[in-house]
Amino acid sequence: MAIHKGRGIAAIEYPTGMNQNGDPSQAWIKVKPDGRVDVFAGTSDIGNGSKTIQSQIVAETIGVPYEWVTYDNSNTDSSPVCTGTFASRATFVAGMAVKKAAERVRERILDIAGKELEIDPSDLDIVDGEVVAKGAPQTKISVPDVAAAATWGHGELITGTGAQLKPYAAIVEPDTGKVDLPPHSAISYASCAAEVEVDDETGQVRVTRLVQCFDVGLAINPTLVEGQIDGGAIQGLGLGVLETSYPYYPSIEHRGGEFGSYLAPSMEDMPVLDTVLIENPSADGPYGAKGIGEMANNPQPPAIASAVHDAVGVWITELPITPERVLRALAAKASGESEPTRKGKVVVYDQDLSLAAVARPDAPVKLVVDP
Amino acid sequence: MKAVGARVPRYDGVAHVTGRTVFVEDFDVPGAAWVKALRSPHPHAGIAKLDASAAERMKGVRAVVTAADVPLNVYGHLSALGIPGDEPLLAEKEVRYVGQPIAVVAAEDEEIALAAVDAIEIEYDVREPLFDVRKAFDPDAPQIHEWGNWYPHFEDGYDHRQIRKGDIDAAFDQADLIVQGVYRPAAIEQLPIETQVCQVVPEANGRLTIYSCTQALYFSMGVVAAHLQQPLNKFKFVGGTVGGGFGGKVDTATETLCCLLALKSCKPTKWRWTREEEFLCSSTRAPWHMEVADAVTKDGWILGRRMITLHDSGAYARFSPYGVTKHSFHHTGAYTIPNLHFDGWVVFTNRTPTSAMRGFGVTSVSFATETHMSRIAEELGIDPFELRLKNANRIGDTSPNGVVYTDPSTVPTILAIADHLGHELPADYRTMTTEPRSGDLLPDHLVAQLGNPEDH
Amino acid sequence: MSLTVNGRTHEIESPPLTTLLDVLREELRMTSPKVGCEQGGCGACTVLVDGQPRRSCLIPVGALNGVAITTVEGLGTPEDLQPIQAAFVHHYAAQCGFCTSGLLMAATAYVANGGTDDREAIAHALGGHVCRCTGYVKIVDAVAAAARGDEFDLSTTAEGRYTTMHTGGDS
Repeated sequence: MAIHKGRGIAAIEYPTGMNQNGDPSQAWIKVKPDGRVDVFAGTSDIGNGSKTIQSQIVAETIGVPYEWVTYDNSNTDSSPVCTGTFASRATFVAGMAVKKAAERVRERILDIAGKELEIDPSDLDIVDGEVVAKGAPQTKISVPDVAAAATWGHGELITGTGAQLKPYAAIVEPDTGKVDLPPHSAISYASCAAEVEVDDETGQVRVTRLVQCFDVGLAINPTLVEGQIDGGAIQGLGLGVLETSYPYYPSIEHRGGEFGSYLAPSMEDMPVLDTVLIENPSADGPYGAKGIGEMANNPQPPAIASAVHDAVGVWITELPITPERVLRALAAKASGESEPTRKGKVVVYDQDLSLAAVARPDAPVKLVVDP
Repeated sequence: MKAVGARVPRYDGVAHVTGRTVFVEDFDVPGAAWVKALRSPHPHAGIAKLDASAAERMKGVRAVVTAADVPLNVYGHLSALGIPGDEPLLAEKEVRYVGQPIAVVAAEDEEIALAAVDAIEIEYDVREPLFDVRKAFDPDAPQIHEWGNWYPHFEDGYDHRQIRKGDIDAAFDQADLIVQGVYRPAAIEQLPIETQVCQVVPEANGRLTIYSCTQALYFSMGVVAAHLQQPLNKFKFVGGTVGGGFGGKVDTATETLCCLLALKSCKPTKWRWTREEEFLCSSTRAPWHMEVADAVTKDGWILGRRMITLHDSGAYARFSPYGVTKHSFHHTGAYTIPNLHFDGWVVFTNRTPTSAMRGFGVTSVSFATETHMSRIAEELGIDPFELRLKNANRIGDTSPNGVVYTDPSTVPTILAIADHLGHELPADYRTMTTEPRSGDLLPDHLVAQLGNPEDH
Repeated sequence: MSLTVNGRTHEIESPPLTTLLDVLREELRMTSPKVGCEQGGCGACTVLVDGQPRRSCLIPVGALNGVAITTVEGLGTPEDLQPIQAAFVHHYAAQCGFCTSGLLMAATAYVANGGTDDREAIAHALGGHVCRCTGYVKIVDAVAAAARGDEFDLSTTAEGRYTTMHTGGDS
């Protein structure tokens, strides 16, 4: 009996935004008489931090401190459409909507400031809540003063709206899958190396370390990106070695109805996480950002499966990689049953799992590979 | 930049740690009725008799709702994407999964609601279920869906998602080796710590206020509006602060039924799923069955890929056609494979309908194709980093359905982890970039697939 | 019966078999402890009973005569956070926030009982709490920091111990 160590890698990509697009997000912003900024957007924050990210984008785009921004996504009477928080779209698609709204607000602030200072708005900048003349920073007016001037002088509500919608990419050739437009807002990339220890007596697989590299375009908030990576890593680990809704799939027997019979990853399952972030900016996302929320749990399962093979020489391609599956695979390996079939140049693994092994010979669907 | 790129604290961080963040159930709705559902105990059965009158008459019961009370019982949540409806809000003539809701009850407390559910008279005629996607295509398989055992409404009446590129037969002829494998990731739970929950208040002006845990306020509002055949301004969705979703809270699982109960009883209504309901009745990530056969050269080029995918959609389509389409667009993963033959089916089984979960459609194909790449590396005796770097997308390469890659980062992410691990690579691999293919990295078989990044 | 919660004594009207969780949330309208499972499996309902972390979804209130209950409402306020709360903010230990209340109470007890910043010890003590969002790393960071008595700059969040940034394009 022994603990065997192994390592496996995976390299993946994942699209930002709903597949084939056509998923709008909208926002509107108003400025209070003292210069504080109210954002109304319809994006649900499910823990991903969209309230935070969108507030940062607004603060940056207008040129005011983050603390001046209030974010209201609380209801559909005051907030405009956001298709939803899924498809890794909250930072890019919904973020671009608030960015566009913020750009309109910035324009209005500069316009009114220009009137107040009698300077062309194109010669003005907004830094840290103050409108300053470019090259002559002593000539300035605070954003609160601009807002007050708007309210009680010019009779204007400083507001801006924004909408982000990438047109729907139709499948124009259903036989090939060709589309008429790019079907995503951006693509993010990641690689992962998983290190495991496999106990050949119990079959248990411990994931000891994950070395991962993520390209997020630009990290609007690096801490939040780290949080997504950490959370995704444990969910990927769960998919790889712990979790299943149907322990005897495809049977529906013995489903776990509580914690304990369903194995949710716990603090004691945490591997060491070594993470490298790369920023390869997107062409048209907010400040170059791309999505990461979902991709974070994709590379671990295959990296773990490859690592298990590296450790004990068995390929387990049904998830989760449970101790029972490991022990059965080790027994099959020892008795020579798990070798792939080789015929000419064709190597066939997992024949017993295949459609061909289970379906009737006259079933119309099969993977056709001519050996 | 000041705010962007900064590690500012979470907008709601202080609220979270002082217990002040308001989730759906933290809204105080005095007098809200408790909701419980009558759920199918059978994976496949006809409903021979349904009589809720004993429950309706029970003391403390405010309302009972069945399919007859729903203005539009079957609504395709993705009908705007051409995916017609198949799933009833409440089962009418048959049930197709254990846990499928048939009736809902609103009562003054949880005990009365449970007793009322028990008092509903129902008779089933049990039918043979189908659980194994691989058996769905057998001529004598039980037929479990009015559309047949797999989704038939892709474009132009296709009954599967299809990708074709290049000349797959030539690729398989030219290959030195063909490696074939089967990949089956499991259904898992989204498992948010907050279960499905909503509260609905009928307002004096005839509107409904819906405190919802949805991940998609407007999407869910549209679903409720369609089932109830009402304009959007009949509803005020209040939410946006969710105790975890991971894809499971797009299903609009509670809102419509709570609205119907609130309308029928003229009283506020609350439905919080128990953790057991969350485990056993909420949608899961789909199980997938994927078979991959790659035609490769002995020096590590992937010439072509044949793939079939059977997506286990459970009893109804929900968002599965969308998921399988996304899956097909990404079935080459991070690599440029010029000859492709992909077929993917949305297959129905008598289990809880599967739905979105983090990575929907692509998590599965990443598992299959990345494990497969490692197998190929092993068969060819090639370093798994080098195999991936060689085949990785470059600027100007095209995706399975012809979309040009304008700025792929596969090469730098692989080099970054190799560097971090201290994994030695030959100089020509260590210096690889994402620049358009040329020289040794542009063999003849990759020329035809090239596209112009300017066309993006 | 009477129940002392966060230093105030309340007369409880709920029947004795009502869970402490339901008494706190429904009768006393304290919403910090959350309903996560009502099975004792997730820890989101954890409060302190005489200083020790207990799952309030499993305790009938009738068993609690004469005890002192502490919930998150009895920790600090936004203007005056207790160190464990400040640690959670600074180390980004809460994402959706639903599991946070239970973890804060368990962590409070851990530190008060002399818990150290040893990460294995923290994982062992708090391992019965399920979090689906954070992957636990920053929760352990926060508890370790609180155990050490670190000071927290709440205008920013802590950098993860393990990340490197390469900006501006591929290598």
